Amino acid sequence: MDHSDSVKASVPSYLKEAQMIKQGAEARVYRGTFLGRSVIIKERFPKLYRHPEVDEKLTRRRTTQEVRSILRCRRAGINAPVVYFVDYTTHCIFLEDIIHSVSVKDHIASAQASEQNPQHLQTLADKIGETLAQMHDEDVIHGDLTTSNMLLVSGAEDQNMKLVLIDFGLSYISALPEDKGVDLYVLEKAFLSTHPKTETLFERLLKSYTASSKKSSVVLKKLDEVRLRGRKRSMVG
Amino acid sequence: MHLTQELELFPEYTVTQLLFKDVKNATELRKMAVNGEIKGALINPSMVVDAFQILVAANKAVHLHKNGKMKTRSLYSEIIFNLSPTNNISEAFKRFGISDSDSAVHIVLIHNKDETLNIEDIIGKVDGQQMAVDRVSDLTDVAKIKKLYKVAPQEEKCGSLLDAVVCRMATKDVA
Repeated sequence: MDHSDSVKASVPSYLKEAQMIKQGAEARVYRGTFLGRSVIIKERFPKLYRHPEVDEKLTRRRTTQEVRSILRCRRAGINAPVVYFVDYTTHCIFLEDIIHSVSVKDHIASAQASEQNPQHLQTLADKIGETLAQMHDEDVIHGDLTTSNMLLVSGAEDQNMKLVLIDFGLSYISALPEDKGVDLYVLEKAFLSTHPKTETLFERLLKSYTASSKKSSVVLKKLDEVRLRGRKRSMVG
Repeated sequence: MHLTQELELFPEYTVTQLLFKDVKNATELRKMAVNGEIKGALINPSMVVDAFQILVAANKAVHLHKNGKMKTRSLYSEIIFNLSPTNNISEAFKRFGISDSDSAVHIVLIHNKDETLNIEDIIGKVDGQQMAVDRVSDLTDVAKIKKLYKVAPQEEKCGSLLDAVVCRMATKDVA
């Protein structure tokens, strides 16, 4: 087994053949085949605007945090894509491709458009609240809760739709109610701005969260505090 | 019967898996693996849920081997180590490698695409009955795996036992 230069570049040359589906500020996302399965590959590419040593450390930390959070969620019974392989040299994560799914964002949008079944969305709100409560009880902070980062996978019957959380790129472990409150605040902002007239739906979500979480009261108190003072707001008047 | 697959990330290599039951010469086989007569990883099939699990371990082993970052001394011992949910090397060998008293053996070989592999030669060395690799789940000790990988019932809501095992294998360096 020889060690030519082409050998070291295996993941990048693989990615050239794969299908890129998204490019963000932090990472590129591809779809490909890995060990015979359809996978999503998340590549945290080097940021040239950063100092190289800082970039390497930060990128590695983000990768490990993402992977750790996913494992923690799964161990607690929260649906998240299975991690198949992590390449710490190129900072690529090979994840299970969740097929036959629709994002919660698209689902709500189409449900609202077709003026359908509000009861249907109530059940969804309950499910989201319950799932986030379980996640926070495991001290996992998602960091980027939006309806685009939640998928609904159709089961055998339309009844039991699985809710899958994805994109743990900004996630970390924390027991602080403040962090959990901010996590919910991020979702609230994203939810209300993306889906008009959903205030009652979100309230139902929070109610479900409260019912499912053991430490909810202090988290919700923090949520109120964050709502009042706002996030990323310069207190300069 | 045997299974030969490619590693998409390393197209120059091929992974071949062979499975045997009613094996009578486990001690001999172990010796052959150690002295290099058999150039492969000898794995205890009761710890294998699916051939995919082996592929994941092999892929990681080849990756680390190429980057000079293996934790063990050889590619084959690295495959065995990668199967384990912990970072203790000797424990991994004990639990996932074969012991003298084992009656079933799962053999994993990695070779260059251009190399012709003499499978008959290896089959000849095993005093046992070859069975289809995709039937490895017949030999799986599910309870032992759940205990060793610490898979709780709640995790099984998210996916299969194979998913739980593979996820831990992929993330154990940082878990």
